[in-house]
Amino acid sequence: MEFNENQTQDAQIAEKPAPIATPELINGSHALIQSLIAEGVETIFGYPGGAIMPVYDAIYDYQEQVNHILVRHEQGAAHAAEGFARISGKVGVCLATSGPGATNLVTGIADAIIDSTPMVCIVGQVGSHLLGTDAFQETDIIGVTIPITKWNYQITNPDEIPEIIAKAFYIAKSGRPGPVLIDITKDAQQKLMSKPFLHKKCEKLLSYRPRLAPKEDQVAAAAKLINEAKKPFILVGHGVQIAGAEQELLQLIEKADIPAASTLLGLSSISVDHPNYVGWLGMHGNYGTNVLTNQCDVLIAIGMRFDDRVTGDVSRYAKQAKVVHIEIDPAEIDKIIKANAPVVGDAKKALEMLIPLLKENKHEAWRAEFKKFDAIEDEKITQPELAPTTEKIKMAEVIRTLSDKTEGQAVIVADVGQHQMMTARYYQFKKPNSFITSGGLGTMGYALPAAFGAKVGAPDREVVTIIGDGCFQMTIQELGTIAQSGLPVKIIILNNNFLGMVRQWQQLFHQKRYSFVELQNPDFITIAKGFGIDGHTCGAREDLNDSLDKMLASDKPYLLEVLVEKEENVFPMVPTGACVADIRLE
Amino acid sequence: MTAYTICVFTENTIGILNKITTIFTRRRINIDSLTVSETERKGISRFTIVIHHESREAVEKLVRQIRKVIEVLAVFGYLNEDIAYNEIAMFKIPTPIGAKPLDIETINKVHKAWVVYWHLTYVIIQKTGTEEEIFEFFDYIKPHGILEFVRSGRVAVSKSPQTLVDYLPEAEWEYYQ
Ligand SMILES: Cc1ncc(C[n+]2csc(CCOP(=O)(O)OP(=O)(O)O)c2C)c(N)n1
Repeated sequence: MEFNENQTQDAQIAEKPAPIATPELINGSHALIQSLIAEGVETIFGYPGGAIMPVYDAIYDYQEQVNHILVRHEQGAAHAAEGFARISGKVGVCLATSGPGATNLVTGIADAIIDSTPMVCIVGQVGSHLLGTDAFQETDIIGVTIPITKWNYQITNPDEIPEIIAKAFYIAKSGRPGPVLIDITKDAQQKLMSKPFLHKKCEKLLSYRPRLAPKEDQVAAAAKLINEAKKPFILVGHGVQIAGAEQELLQLIEKADIPAASTLLGLSSISVDHPNYVGWLGMHGNYGTNVLTNQCDVLIAIGMRFDDRVTGDVSRYAKQAKVVHIEIDPAEIDKIIKANAPVVGDAKKALEMLIPLLKENKHEAWRAEFKKFDAIEDEKITQPELAPTTEKIKMAEVIRTLSDKTEGQAVIVADVGQHQMMTARYYQFKKPNSFITSGGLGTMGYALPAAFGAKVGAPDREVVTIIGDGCFQMTIQELGTIAQSGLPVKIIILNNNFLGMVRQWQQLFHQKRYSFVELQNPDFITIAKGFGIDGHTCGAREDLNDSLDKMLASDKPYLLEVLVEKEENVFPMVPTGACVADIRLE
Repeated sequence: MTAYTICVFTENTIGILNKITTIFTRRRINIDSLTVSETERKGISRFTIVIHHESREAVEKLVRQIRKVIEVLAVFGYLNEDIAYNEIAMFKIPTPIGAKPLDIETINKVHKAWVVYWHLTYVIIQKTGTEEEIFEFFDYIKPHGILEFVRSGRVAVSKSPQTLVDYLPEAEWEYYQ
């Protein structure tokens, strides 16, 4: 018999009324919430809708155990979950409906995978009998998210829920963390499980076995290279913070006296006060760190992936150096930069094993090299920006004043653009796990919801977010979430009336042809007040101190808008395609 | 361009094909042939994917990316010399009255191909072999006219004495009876 795909099926399969949960047998929605609770979830960022309503009905019964936070847009839920995860080290959880609810999460999921952020997104789906029928709000979200999730799975049977949720959390959190999406059809939320609910944590999978402790011979080979190095140089990536390896990192750099620089997401893992800390790497990083990358003899990369914003032209990147690459994801080894001594494993475990094999050493002369470049950068860029003679406030002053006032101890959440780069340059991080930003994806609109999520995850820490006027308008509605929660998130808008970073590129590389980068902005303070959030606009240098004091003193959410110079550029800069050693100071 | 055969062992779940192929698509690597079937172990699928690439390094990176898919148990990349491999092809050849008859003896003995179906006006011939052998036969049979021709993807087994179990010693495999 020939197969005929055109046979039509009767689409009118009646939805049976949801059975009532009994003490013994519960329905899929209750199973889901109980599984989340069993995984230690206390906070969910979400937004309801048709295909997830059974779950929302269940959440109603668990308000004591789980704090559901209603965002204003699902993208906000995803970024809030990311901010929460980044600060707390726990898995961020978001909940959304099918179709548009799920697709609104997509930007946040893509952001989470590239920045290795543990997240579990649970989305509703149309009833299983409607799958593939273009039913109302049916989107193939599994298909959409395959390339941007660490794992995704569609549940159509409530019996699967405990096991799949346990697996989702295990996958999201272990190894190199990342986002997991679980799509649950409406009938699976409604139906009773056929067996009593039982949630067992997942500890191991057959197919997925991340390596925590590296192989001893790999560590030994790395130690040998480091011990023989005359000019070793450490690059600190996000992996250090994810692994919680800050203490081990200090032991390493102190024992072997190695200068260490940080990637964007590695910032705050070493205090700026540490004598071995030499600054930030990459496109807008420091002068010395970039130039000396091409002079070191052993490059020790820890928990980082040689992003093109770090390396510039790869064919002219650290060619003279032997490379030690400590990294949990084996696919990152040799992906961009060939490693002479790869060490596959968790950064903390790897450093614990490495440190005893290292000789005590002194590299004072080599460390002093960085100082020479610092002096030039200081004179040409840093000092003029921190103590400008121009009338308008510069971004650098705002950030440094904030840094001084918070003693480098605050959680700083930066959005994407010039203000982000200025924050990375001028905030003096003195406490680990204090910087959150969208690094890999460069997602404008990330900061406001992520800062909120960070405040939820670390309520006792001061959380200040630095946002551009362009970025702010991408997720501005999350002011509503913040206002409703009452959490004192401090928001600084650095308003230059431009999409500044794009304008800078147009100035430098497109002959100042400013193509659609100027913004006519709303009155941000009025908007904030409309949401019930107090605020103030600071337009004069004399007012900056008081404005920041007032913002920091507030025990409520607060918006400070600072009117900054319109056409300021971020330097130093390694233009795209240039070599790190050819970093431009102007 | 060198031919590479990539063997991927996965859990047999819905959507796994999509999860694997998207890794190729994103890197603009064209798949020449793809064969999927269940292995000797229940619930474990084996993908045999053939690609051509000028850079061995790029293929190694690709293999490591495939390994990252959660459902993937193991991935191996092979050069042709590392494997025993074959394909199967079917030819529908017209046999109208009055035309030159097919030389069945040559087809069987020289080309190791077999007629698997006779019809009044055509026959279906099956030929197993490497791509080169199949095309050798293709050229031989072409003068008769080819109504239809189809070639399967490659199936390949490594020449190494190791088995999947050597790579996944912890697994408790359930074999087919
Ligand atoms: C969603 C998204 N769209 C576009 C971009 C490209 N982009 C990068 S920075 C930037 C300008 C940001 O402007 P603003 O928030 O005002 O910050 P500034 O650079 O002026 O500090 C743009 C458009 C992006 N990174 N993300």
